[in-house]
Amino acid sequence: MMDVSQYMVLFLEEAREHLQSLNRCLLDLENDPADLSVLDEIFRSAHTIKGMSATMGYADIAELTHEMENILDLLRKAILKANHSIIDTLFQCVDTLERLVEDVANNETSNADIQSLIKKLSSLAENPSPAYPSTIEKPILIATFNETNLTSTEISLITSAQRQGLCAFEVQVVLRADCLLKSARAYMVMNAAEELGDIIKTVPLTEDLENGHFDQQFQFILLSSVDSEKIKDEILSISEIETVTVLPCIISEDAAIEQFMEPETVQENNIAEKLTSSSTPLRSNPALNEKRIRGGQSVRVDIDKLDSLLNLVGELVINKTRLEQIGTSHKLGDLTETIEQIDRVTTDLQSVVMKVRMVPVGQVFNRFPRMVRDLSHELGKEINLIIQGEDTELDRTVIDEIGDPLVHLLRNAVDHGIERLPERRSSGKEAVGEVRLIARHEGNNVIILVEDDGKGIDAASIKEKALKGGFIAKTDADKMDDQELINLLFLPGFSTAAAVTDVSGRGVGMDAVKTKIETLGGTVEIETKVGRGSKFIIKLPLTLAIIQALLVRVCKEIYAIPLSSIDSTIHLKPEDIKTVQGKEVILLRGQIIPIIRLDAVLNVPPDNKEQSDLFIVIVHVGQQKAGIIVDDLIGQQEIVIKSLGSLLKSIKVIAGATILGNGQVALILDVGSVMK
Amino acid sequence: MSQNNDSNEEIQLVIFRLGSEEYAFDILTVQEIKRMTDITRVPHTPEYIKGVINLRGSVLPVLDLKTRMNLLPTPITEDTRIIIIKTEQVFVGILVDAVSEVVSMKCSEIEPPQGSGSIVTENYVKGIGKLGDRLLIILNPQSIVDVV
Repeated sequence: MMDVSQYMVLFLEEAREHLQSLNRCLLDLENDPADLSVLDEIFRSAHTIKGMSATMGYADIAELTHEMENILDLLRKAILKANHSIIDTLFQCVDTLERLVEDVANNETSNADIQSLIKKLSSLAENPSPAYPSTIEKPILIATFNETNLTSTEISLITSAQRQGLCAFEVQVVLRADCLLKSARAYMVMNAAEELGDIIKTVPLTEDLENGHFDQQFQFILLSSVDSEKIKDEILSISEIETVTVLPCIISEDAAIEQFMEPETVQENNIAEKLTSSSTPLRSNPALNEKRIRGGQSVRVDIDKLDSLLNLVGELVINKTRLEQIGTSHKLGDLTETIEQIDRVTTDLQSVVMKVRMVPVGQVFNRFPRMVRDLSHELGKEINLIIQGEDTELDRTVIDEIGDPLVHLLRNAVDHGIERLPERRSSGKEAVGEVRLIARHEGNNVIILVEDDGKGIDAASIKEKALKGGFIAKTDADKMDDQELINLLFLPGFSTAAAVTDVSGRGVGMDAVKTKIETLGGTVEIETKVGRGSKFIIKLPLTLAIIQALLVRVCKEIYAIPLSSIDSTIHLKPEDIKTVQGKEVILLRGQIIPIIRLDAVLNVPPDNKEQSDLFIVIVHVGQQKAGIIVDDLIGQQEIVIKSLGSLLKSIKVIAGATILGNGQVALILDVGSVMK
Repeated sequence: MSQNNDSNEEIQLVIFRLGSEEYAFDILTVQEIKRMTDITRVPHTPEYIKGVINLRGSVLPVLDLKTRMNLLPTPITEDTRIIIIKTEQVFVGILVDAVSEVVSMKCSEIEPPQGSGSIVTENYVKGIGKLGDRLLIILNPQSIVDVV
C-alpha cells in the first residue's frame, strides 16, 4: 500500500475547500434550480472529493460522493428536478462528508451513518419527485447524443450510415472503480469496437482517453452492422469493465437537414457544455482552461513558515531602526543614504510579507449563508443574508479567531433580532427579514458589521434584567443612559439571565464575543433602535504582529502605547487636574476625562523629580476615554510585538513586549486593562 | 539520576555561585551563559522575576535565583551572569553571582538531598555533589521555573 500520510494535509485542505464550495453552490442551486453551471460546479467538487478520497483509501467518503454524483448526474440530465427534498438530502450529505473529513483529520474512526443517506439518495434517484410529473416519463437510460449535441458532420455521417443500412449505437462503458490502467482499458475497448465498425465520436476526446483523463466512464458512437448484444458481449469480454450500455442512436433525416441549416457554432457550444458537465478536461472551453492554469500558480505554504518569515522581517525592522540611530548620532551622510534605501526595501518587504499572510474574510463568511439558511428554516423565518466585502483581507491569525464571535452575532440576529412573520407584518416591515454581514477597510482597521432589521434591543428591559440579576445597583442604573444600559449585555454571566426569561435574548455569550474580539486587539460596539434593528460594529486590526505605537517614558522606564487606541496627546500644568468625587479628571474640550497615573498603575520606582509640565496621552477603548499621565513622549515608532512567554502571560496591564532600536526591551501597555 | 548508582555514568555540571555557596545545573539544561545586560522590569510580577531581556530578538524572562530561594541579596558585579536554561515549556534566564567552571562528576558521587538542615527550599535541590572537599548543590531547573 502506498504511504498516503504525506498527502494527508493536502487532502484535508482540498477536501475542506471543495466541501465549502459544495455548500455554497448548493445554496445557489436552491435559489435557482435551473442553473446548470452551478450543477456542474457541484458535480466537479463532488467528483474531486470522490477521486481524492478513493486514492487515500477513505471508502466511506468515496462511496457517499459516488452516490451523490448519481443524483447530480440525473439533475444535470434534467431527469430529476432539484427540489427541497433533494437539496436537503444533498446538504445532509455535505454535512456527513464534513464530519467524515474531520474524523479523518482527527484520526478517529468514523461512525457517521452513510448507509441511510445512500438509501435516501438512491430512493430519490428512483422516484423522481412528484412535484415535477413531467420528468417521470423519461427513461433513466437515454442516449446522451441526439440531434442537439452533435456537429453537422457527425449527423451527416450517421444519417448516411443509416441509409447504407448500418446502425448508429451509443456505447456507454463504465470501468470498474478499482481499475488501475484506465487509459489502457479504454484503448482495448476502442480497439474491440473498431473491429465491429467505425467510431465517429468519443466523449471525452480520444486524446483524453489515451491519457487517462476521464472518470470511470466514457462513451462513444459506433456505426456498425452488428446488433447491440454482440457489441455488448464483445466489450464485456475485456476485463475490469463494470457495465456496458449499448443504445441505438437515432437521428431523423429531418433533424439532420435542420441541423445543416443552423450555424455550426451553436452546436459546438452545445458540445462544449456537455463536455463541461462530464468533468473531463475542457479543451473546448478556453476561458475555463485559462482559469485553471492561473489557479495552478499559487503555492500552499505552511503558516509556521510564514510566521518565521515574519519574525525574521521583524528582526530586520529592529536592526534597521538601530542603524538609523547610529546614522543620526554619528552624522554619517553616506550611511544615511544607504539606510534610506534599506528603509524602503524593508518597508516593501514587510508589506509583502504581511500581504502574504492576508486572507480574504470570505473564507470565514463562506459558511454563514448555509448556517443562516438552516437556522431560519428551523425557526420558520424567512431571512435574506446579504454579504458584502468578502474580499476584504485580514491577517491569518485574526481570520482564524473571528469565526466564532461572528457565528454568535449572526445567530443572535436570526434568532432574536428578526421578528416572526406576523410581528413583521404588523409593524409594516417587509416579510423577508434582512441580515447584513459587511466587511470593509477603515484606515488601519477592518470593520465587520452584523446588522439586522429586526426588533432592536430595548434598553429598559435590559435595565430590568440587570437589576433583577443583581448586576448593577438601582442607583447606578438610574444614572445610566441607554447606550450604557445596552453595553451591560457584555457583562459576563448576563447572558444566562436574559436567555431564561427571553425578553430580547440578546446577550447569550456576548461577553465571550467581546473578550475574543478584545484579545484580537479589536473592539465591539452595539447600535440599536427599538423596532428598527441592531448593528454590531466590530473593529479589528489588520495584523497582530507589527503595530504603530507611541513610546512614552515613565520615570526611567519606557513603555509603548498602541497608536490605535490613542486619540491625542496634550500638555498640561499640574493645576489643570481637578478632583471629582475623589477621582482625578481633566476637562478636555468640554468633556470630563478621568486621569490615570501610569507610575502608580505600574508601580514604577519613583525618581523623585517634581514635574512642572505634564504630558497626557488621551486613549480610548470603545467610547470610553481616559488620560494617561506620562513623564515624556519619546516618539511614534513601528514596533514588532513579542510575547512575554508563558511564564509572564498572566500580567493584565501588559500586552506584550517589543525590542527597541538600542536592543532594550520595552513593554507594551494593554490600554483596555489599564483603564479598568 | 541521584538514585543512579552506576559508578561509570558521568554527568557534566555547570558550577555557579550564589553568595558564598556553590550550586550546579546539569549542562544539558543550560543553553548559554550571558554577561549582565539591561533588564526591563515587568510590573505586577513576583519579586523573584527580575524582568525581561532581549536575547537576539526574543524576549526572555530573567529570574533572580537568590530571591527565589530566599537567600540574602548581593550587589551586581562584573562577575554577575545570566544562565539561560531550557525547561520543558520555556527558556528562562537565571541571574547568578558568578559562573566558575564545568566539571564532570560520577553519578555515584551525588547524594540525594537531605530532608532538612538546608536553607534552600528542598524542592529545588536534585542532589548534593561532592567534588573533593567542595559541596555542590545540584538544582532542578524545572521546579525553579514552575510558578508556585
